[in-house]
Amino acid sequence: MSNSAIQSGQPSLSNEEREYEMRALISSIWTGGRLFIGIYTFMLASLVFSYFYLRSSDTGLLWRPDHVTAPRAFGFLIFGLSLVTGLLAYVGRKRLVMGSFQDFSVAAWSGVVTGLIALLLQIIELSHLSFYPGSSGYASTFIGFAVMNIVSLVISAYWLETTVARGMRIRREVEGENPEFSSNPRARAFRADVAAMSYFQVFLTLAGALLFAMFYLM
Amino acid sequence: MTISDERSTEVSGPVSGHPHNTRKLSWTQRPGLLSQNLLTAIVFGVIGYLIGHWFGNYLASGYSYIANSGQNSIANTLALAFGVVGWLGGIGALNYPFAKLFGVDGLEEESPVDNWSKYFRYSLDHKIVGLQYVVGVLLFMFTGGLLAMAIRTELLNPTTHIFSPDVYIKIVSEHGTIMMMMATSIIVGPLGNYFVPLMIGARRMAFPRIEALSFWIFTAGYMVIFSALPYGGFPTGWTGYAPLQTQAGPGMVSYLLGFAVIGLGMILAGFNQAVTIINYRAPGMTWSRVPVFVWSILATAALLTLATPVLFAGGLFGLLDKTVQTAFYVDEHGGSSYLWQNLFWFFGHPEVYIMALPGFGIAGELLPVFCRRPLFAYKVSAAGMIGVALLSFFVWQHHLFQSGINPDMRPLFMLTTELISIPTGFIYLVGMGTLYRAKIRFELPMLFVLALFFNFLIGGVTGVFLSDVPVNVTVHGGFFVLSHFHYTIMGGLLFAFMAGLYYWLPKMTGKMMNKKIGKVHFWLMFVFFNLTFFPMFIIGLLGQPRRVFTYATNLQGLNDFSSISAFILGFSFLVFFFNLVYSMWIKPEVAPANPWESLGLEWQTATPVPSYNFERIPVIMTEPYRYSEEGAPAFADFGPKDAPDSPTHTMA
Ligand code: HEM
Ligand SMILES: [Cu+2]
Repeated sequence: MSNSAIQSGQPSLSNEEREYEMRALISSIWTGGRLFIGIYTFMLASLVFSYFYLRSSDTGLLWRPDHVTAPRAFGFLIFGLSLVTGLLAYVGRKRLVMGSFQDFSVAAWSGVVTGLIALLLQIIELSHLSFYPGSSGYASTFIGFAVMNIVSLVISAYWLETTVARGMRIRREVEGENPEFSSNPRARAFRADVAAMSYFQVFLTLAGALLFAMFYLM
Repeated sequence: MTISDERSTEVSGPVSGHPHNTRKLSWTQRPGLLSQNLLTAIVFGVIGYLIGHWFGNYLASGYSYIANSGQNSIANTLALAFGVVGWLGGIGALNYPFAKLFGVDGLEEESPVDNWSKYFRYSLDHKIVGLQYVVGVLLFMFTGGLLAMAIRTELLNPTTHIFSPDVYIKIVSEHGTIMMMMATSIIVGPLGNYFVPLMIGARRMAFPRIEALSFWIFTAGYMVIFSALPYGGFPTGWTGYAPLQTQAGPGMVSYLLGFAVIGLGMILAGFNQAVTIINYRAPGMTWSRVPVFVWSILATAALLTLATPVLFAGGLFGLLDKTVQTAFYVDEHGGSSYLWQNLFWFFGHPEVYIMALPGFGIAGELLPVFCRRPLFAYKVSAAGMIGVALLSFFVWQHHLFQSGINPDMRPLFMLTTELISIPTGFIYLVGMGTLYRAKIRFELPMLFVLALFFNFLIGGVTGVFLSDVPVNVTVHGGFFVLSHFHYTIMGGLLFAFMAGLYYWLPKMTGKMMNKKIGKVHFWLMFVFFNLTFFPMFIIGLLGQPRRVFTYATNLQGLNDFSSISAFILGFSFLVFFFNLVYSMWIKPEVAPANPWESLGLEWQTATPVPSYNFERIPVIMTEPYRYSEEGAPAFADFGPKDAPDSPTHTMA
């Protein structure tokens, strides 16, 4: 029994029991990742609902006078960069599963960078709008979209960064074992985290495509 | 493989992911002045508030609600938002998210301080969080209750006034909002957090940090919504309808941000509960063996996680309207005030079931114990809860029957609303079936459960009346609706909460609540609850509108009757608080290990519950609630403690 367990008065469990809890932990990451997608879907859906609600009400014919549109160049750039981020997360995970932590970490760090550039552009875009926030229904929902997109980009970059930072730390601390193969509990939790993360990034990219189409193309 | 085989080959290290694998304590967790606790949270919260205020004024000075008023909505919003962040940072909730950037993972957790001060800290122990929530929701209830007393005082007389009409509506609004926010957490927070892991045989929560965060966000939300009063209040009632929302002063920001913050806490709490219940059930606890209280929390968690994001987004849009002058809810600029109403009620109706299901869960959990027989049609009640949760997403328009909804849509939502009373009825009938010809033990918790069934019958049946469009047209916006939802929420949920407290406090604290005082509390609360709210049905049918500080003089008799009953009802809560203080501190009486002779798992572990809940992972052997059954096996096998060679304790 380890010293620490005695200190906190915690009884020691058998390996079988530990494994049971370890599996619960791993599957919690799985469930949590999926449920988070559910939560996020409902939040984004509120925006989509608002968009179509205001569009079909068209109160005072002020849904979108003169078909104003947010600067398309920014839109393409921001969406393009988030697409790249999503792809990098996806491919990075694939490479990790195939055994290359190196590739994963290159992909993830690049994803952090592209994500942060997208974030920066999204903020700058707000000072390049050709309309006032309250000038129309479209203008309002666009501001709402921009704010949510900022949140999404922050979450995306944060989750990518924290997983890759964790992977590197595990590599350092668990000497001689690679996080992509090790049966060390922390490595296992790490892999589950990466899986949930890449799943979420793909979701964000798909949702982002829909929102991009709504606000810049339609 | 049996657990005993394994005992000799224990391994050490951060394997189980249990929150209490000790490491060296960082300074933030050590006792002493420099550690993080409630005090640092307050200090950081105030500093955050001031910085936010300054920053807002820096960004947008001279940008006021009312010309030259010096009230700047951006400064207000940022002050409150930074205040919340400061509060969370001060308590230590942001340490880990920050450490994560450097690759620190959740398995290297710190053991918390183990003295009285742990109750004032960011704690990863779900039992401490549960107790913190008890205090938190009681504080909510107390402040909301004081406002209710103010309302009933004003309504004593239709012509002599204590408050101006506009102060009155602000009191009503604050009362409603505080109570609704409290009601979303009143059971999930204290009892859900404390007991769900114990009842499913888990040694921890899935996400202890998220759980703790949800509590500290909850308290922050309380302060934000309370700040509405010093900011001058908001005039919209708890529903925050635009265009009044758009026209209102700075107190509205507190409402919008408060709801968004509380909403975030609700999402996180539900998230953690759902994931825990799905993944951390002990071996042998199949879905048909999950206690019905846990089922109710799972259904509630589904609503918390999926409906609340809509409230969050709705609040965010409202804040954007207030600060950067978007026009989401402003008809004159291409928005729509109905948009708010739709977003609000899309959340709001699931919300009412967030406030109903946990109450039924407690009722279903306690009935078998005090009737000494299995829960009648257990599976029907679990299915009913899931059914209610699903259907509750399809009925929100019944709050908008009078709000310019396309008249052709009304029958549809009338139908869905009436449909939802079917699963609700099932849950109710499960209770009746269990009670039918049972030898009931009329202990205190049971009295509250019986009262719940009485009250909810009235609350539920009037709901069906309300969903009928022609009836709705005549009573909408009046005291009839008011009485309906007080019967369901206060008469249902709050009575269930009291039942739960009387039932479980002996486990949580090791002390019994005094029975005599408890009986006084119960009878006062039950009788005067009904005497307060039943007349309001009549008052409503006679045409008195809600949220107005005066009324037709011929209604004074009924109103006075209701007000005086309300004061006694308020007094009954003082009796409860007195009982709490008396039984916990003045004259504590040690509770027996299992005072109600329950078979539930939560009563089978030691009191006080050790931080790891169970010495060994229990193995569930059979269905719950097999009371008075000859030869029924024990509910769970707790494994050998000192004699490791028990052949029965297998996890397969
Ligand atoms: C049998 C089930 C129920 C039915 C059919 C039902 C139906 C309704 C309807 C149609 C309304 C709209 C009345 C109006 O504003 O004109 C309403 C209002 C309300 N109900 Fe229910 N209800 C039921 C159960 C509940 C439960 C269980 C709760 C809470 C625990 C609840 C809480 C509320 C609240 C808070 C409002 C009014 C909100 C407001 O306008 O401020 N109801 N109900
Ligand atoms: Cu409703």
